[in-house]
Parts: sequence; structure tokens; C-alpha cells
Amino acid sequence: MDNLARAYLPRIAGLALAGASFLAVTAAEAKEITIWCWDPNFNVAIMKEAGARYTKTHPDVTFNVVDFAKTDVEQKLQTGLASGTADALPDIVLIEDYGAQKYLQSFPGAFAPLSGTVDYSGFAPYKAEVMTVDGQVYGMPFDSGVTGLYYRKDYLEQAGFKPEDMQNLTWDRFIEIGKQVEAKTGKKMMGLDPNDAGIVRIMMQSAGQWYFDKEGKPNITGNAALKAALETVGKIMQADIYKPANGWTDWVGTFTSGDVATVVTGVWITGTVKAQPDQAGKWGVAPIPALAVDGATHASNLGGSSWYVLESSAEKAEAIDFLNEIYGKDIDFYQKILQERGAVGTLLAARGGAAYEAADPFFGGEKVWQTFSDWLSKVPSVNYGVFTNEADTAVTAQLPAITQGTPVDEVLKAIDSEISGQIQ
Amino acid sequence: MKNGIGRIATATFTYGFLGLMAFLSIFPFIWMVLGASNSSIDIIKGRILPGEAFTANVGKFFTTVNVPLVFWNSAKVAIFATVLTLAVSSLAGYGFEMFRSRHRERVYRAMLLTLMIPFAALMIPLFIMMGKAGLINTHIAVVLPSIGSAFVIFYFRQSTKAFPSELRDAAKVDGLKEWQIFLFIYVPVMRSTYAAAFIIVFMTAWNNYLWPLIVLQSNETKTITLVISSLASAYYPDYGVVMVGTILATLPTLAVFFFMQRQFVQGMLGSVK
Repeated sequence: MDNLARAYLPRIAGLALAGASFLAVTAAEAKEITIWCWDPNFNVAIMKEAGARYTKTHPDVTFNVVDFAKTDVEQKLQTGLASGTADALPDIVLIEDYGAQKYLQSFPGAFAPLSGTVDYSGFAPYKAEVMTVDGQVYGMPFDSGVTGLYYRKDYLEQAGFKPEDMQNLTWDRFIEIGKQVEAKTGKKMMGLDPNDAGIVRIMMQSAGQWYFDKEGKPNITGNAALKAALETVGKIMQADIYKPANGWTDWVGTFTSGDVATVVTGVWITGTVKAQPDQAGKWGVAPIPALAVDGATHASNLGGSSWYVLESSAEKAEAIDFLNEIYGKDIDFYQKILQERGAVGTLLAARGGAAYEAADPFFGGEKVWQTFSDWLSKVPSVNYGVFTNEADTAVTAQLPAITQGTPVDEVLKAIDSEISGQIQ
Repeated sequence: MKNGIGRIATATFTYGFLGLMAFLSIFPFIWMVLGASNSSIDIIKGRILPGEAFTANVGKFFTTVNVPLVFWNSAKVAIFATVLTLAVSSLAGYGFEMFRSRHRERVYRAMLLTLMIPFAALMIPLFIMMGKAGLINTHIAVVLPSIGSAFVIFYFRQSTKAFPSELRDAAKVDGLKEWQIFLFIYVPVMRSTYAAAFIIVFMTAWNNYLWPLIVLQSNETKTITLVISSLASAYYPDYGVVMVGTILATLPTLAVFFFMQRQFVQGMLGSVK
């Protein structure tokens, strides 16, 4: 018995030691990066693809992409940051661009600055502006909401307009065309949800203005672009060329059902437009109409979001390297997410890839993605500030007054006082 | 003294009104079932006829969602929460009514006042507590805050007022200890109250959204309400699939309600006595 023990003990001990060191090695090397984001078919699927690509070259790093609703991600992030419970936070989180400044400024030190690592000059300029605080740039730019004017070629042709007639319009011309479209085809020009200020934001940013100036102070009463945007919405309503929609679903229904001739919104709607196979070949894409103010352009943005690394993350270095390797450099990745998910990234070099250069039969063989990425580089930079959502609420509340013909200057004053009241 | 026409008019009005109200309350349910059989586009267009996409929607739901795990999570949370809440809160309700002390009413009122504090205000302190206890992302953390429920204690105390104190006195004479009286006399007598409380607590726990959302952090621990919320918030939500999820999420509460309906009504009547 003793002999047996003596013979086997060293072996057992050796095995145990080997086992222990093996365990220790795995513990030191295996890293799991936890990511919170929303939309299982879009951000979640894209992040899983990105993670799989990184794991291929870095087998020791794996990814846990957790899928919550957008408002849920925001709520959880807010609670986690406010409670100071660091282990309750993920390593990477997705934040919508409109809300980025709020988190960055309300929780200084909570997010890791990426200025030294990421080459922001390769991205659409407006995107880096969104995530800059005191000269430091946080976050990895992700998808874009670069805007376009989607139009039904068939309806417009019936009304006597060719695709050339839709290029570089002004909003006044757009309204004129809308009147003729209705007279000739009986279709309204666009869907409009009176409780959604998205169209106002699109118009305002296209002229390089926002609810706030570069210093983050409210910019309402002296904001020529906002004034022109509200006036334009008023004109659209007076001309009665719109189909009213009640909420997002209803608004989407205005064009999926074929009831309206155009849609002005972010590029992410392309997937929804294309979800109607019976409308294939009937759609065209043009730049959005311009306002009649100084600095007006035909490019703007609606929505879009970016990835942020938490400073408290145990895997901070890996998380930053991952974002930089995939989202900062991998052109092929951007082709794949464009093809599979219709996601237009903000890395400008991605437009050279095959997927961006492909012609889309749904849009009559137009190279729509190339077109959108051209506009992307032209989107005017603005400071979304901390209170975009509050300002948006104030504007939405005043939209009915515009419909009733209240002078725009009075409406601006009302918006201004509501915002000042809210953010004090 | 009413004449025939008057009576018919009254009846028409009564049944018309009742019918309308019944329709209003049952319509969301019909819409949910019809929606599950339609494609997302048809739902957006407002189609209220049965469609042909039901199997496709069910298939998509089962491929995107780990259904057994999610339901297991929800069931675990709801059942533990219900059993523990009933055990703890009914004891408290019994105690409040049976034992007299100088400060009883004051404590009771203070407890009722906590009903006025919105959960959103308690959320962050509670979250910090759970963080310190190392319970973040566990189902224990979901269940714990709900088991001492002021509302259920209140409900049990009100119902206990109808519990005949002679029964307790008789049991005492027979030599039963307090815990025996509770277990063998009180619980069987109050079973319709328990049934009603069971339905209320089970539904609340099953449908609970905000707190599980805050405290659960991974795909493996999520409950059905969180999964549906995330499905519905996509940029292009597939409403047909969301409706399938909603139906499945409704079934357990529906089943509980139908099985206990009779006791529920009795329990509700009992509490007003």
C-alpha cells in the first residue's frame, strides 16, 4: 500500500499541478467582452459578426452581446452609472448620437477616451464632433443616418417629372411638385407625423444649425435654419400635400402602402422600402431639398449611433483594440454589414468596397449606396448638446401651433422659453 | 310601472353598453391573436382578418428566442416570488390583525405610506444594495424586493377581519400553538383569499418589467417581458413575431386566472365584508 502510494503520488501531484497551472493560464488569457445594444436584426447581429471576426485573429477574446430594447439600454446604463456599481456595467455600450453628450458630460470619467488610438480623420466629420468633450474624443463611430429623398418614379412620371427634375430641389420647389403630383395622381407627396420633429431636425442640420450652438447654449430665437425649417413644415401643411400619420408604424405605412410619392429620412429606412417586392424598380433616390437660408446644403442626418468603452471595464484594452481593428479598419466587414443588414457605416474608406459600388436593381440599377456615402461626407457638423431630447419635445409641442398659422417668431419664443425652463 | 317599449329601450341600452365595453376590453386580445397570423406589413396596414403567416411567425420566434430558457426564467421568478410573498405577507397580515400592541396602528400606517413611494425612486438604492450583496444578474435579486409587499399585507389584514376570532379561541382551548392555528385553521379557512392573492401576485411577478430589466444583465437570465421589449424595439420590428411572443407570454397568466377564477371572485367579495 505504501509502495503504491509512493509510486503514484508524484504522478498525481504532477497531474494536479499541471491541471492547476492549466486553469491559471486560461483564467489569465480568456477574456470575455460584454456588449449591450438594441435591435436583434441590426446592431446585435452586426456586433456578433464583428466579434466573430476579431475572435478569428484573437482566439483568447470572446464576446457576449446582450440584447435589450434601446430605452432599456439607456435606463440600465443610467442606473449603473448613477449607482456607481462598476461590475453592473458592460465593457462596450451602444449610445445613440443625440444622447451621447448627455452621458459623456453627466458622467465624466465613465467612458474611455479613444483619441490616441482611433484615427478619426477616416470617419465622416460630423460623427466625431458628436462624441467630443473638451478636445477628447470618446467612442467608435458606427452607423449613419445620412438622409435622402426617396421618390416613386412612377407617380412622378405620371405627374410629368423625370428623375433629373428631382435633383437638388429647394423645399419650395418640392412643395410645388407635390401639388402637381396630387392634382395628377391623387397621391400625397409625403407622410408626416405631427408628433415627430424628425423632419425639422433634418432640415435644420442640413443648414449646419442645431438647437444648441457650439458652446452648448440654446440656439432657438436667432436660429435662421430652425425658423426656415418650421416655416417649411407650415407650408407643407398649408399646401395639404401630406398624409398625416399617427406614430412611427403609421408613418411607415404611408409609403409601404404606396399612398405617398416621397420619403425624406435617414438611409436606414432603405431596408423597409425594399421590403415591398412589388415596388421594385419604382423607387429613385435624390438629395434632400435645401432650405432657403445661408449655409443650406442637400445633406443631413437623422439618428445613428456609436460604440463606447466603459472606463471601469476590466477588458478595456481588448475592447478598444477590438473596436479599432474591426470598426476602424476592416473594409470587408463594412461590405458585409451593408449587404446583409443595410447598415451604412461612417468609415469613409468603406465606400471603395464592392458592396458600395454595386448597382441596386430595386432602385432601377442606381448605385444608391455610393450615392449615400457621397452625401455622408458632406453632412454639416453640429453640436447635439446635452438636451437634444428635451428640445425636441419642446418643438414637437409647438408643431400644432405652426399648423394653426401662428407666426413662426412667436412659436420660436415659446420653444425657447420651454427649453430654458426645462434645462435649468 | 314601465311600459313595454320603455323596458325594451332600457334593455337595448344596457346590453348595447355592456356589449360595447366587453368589445373594448376584449379587442386587444383579438388583435393580438389575429396579428400573430399576419405578416408585419399587413399588421402595419391595419389588417384585422386572419392571415397565413402564423406558422412562419411562430418559427421565427422560436429561432430568434431561446424559448424554453426564457420561460423557465420567467416561471422560476414568478413562482418563487408568489410563494414567498404569500408566505411572508399573509403571516404579516395575520399578525397585524391578531396581536394587539400600542404601536400596531402606527406601524401599519407607516407601512401603508410606503405604497405611495414610486418604485423608480427606490430603484437606485435597491440596485446599490444588490450590487453590494453581489446579487446583480441573479434571479434572487429579482424576487427579494417583492416578498414583503405592503399591498398584499394590507389585503390579508383586511380579509383577516372576517376571520372568526371564535375559531382561534376554540383552537387555543384545544391546546394548539399559534403557528398551528395559522397553518391548520387560518390557511384552510382563508383559501379563497390566498387564491385571489396568488393571482394578483403571480400576474405582477410574471409581468414585472422595470426591476428585472435593471438587475438582469445577460441573455441567459432574461425573462419573457424583457425579450418581447427587445423584439418590439427593433428599427423594423416584426410585429407578427412580437404578437406570437405576446400570446405565449399571456398564456400562463390566463391559465392561472381561469383555474382560480371562482376563488378569486370569492376572495374579492370576502375582502369587502
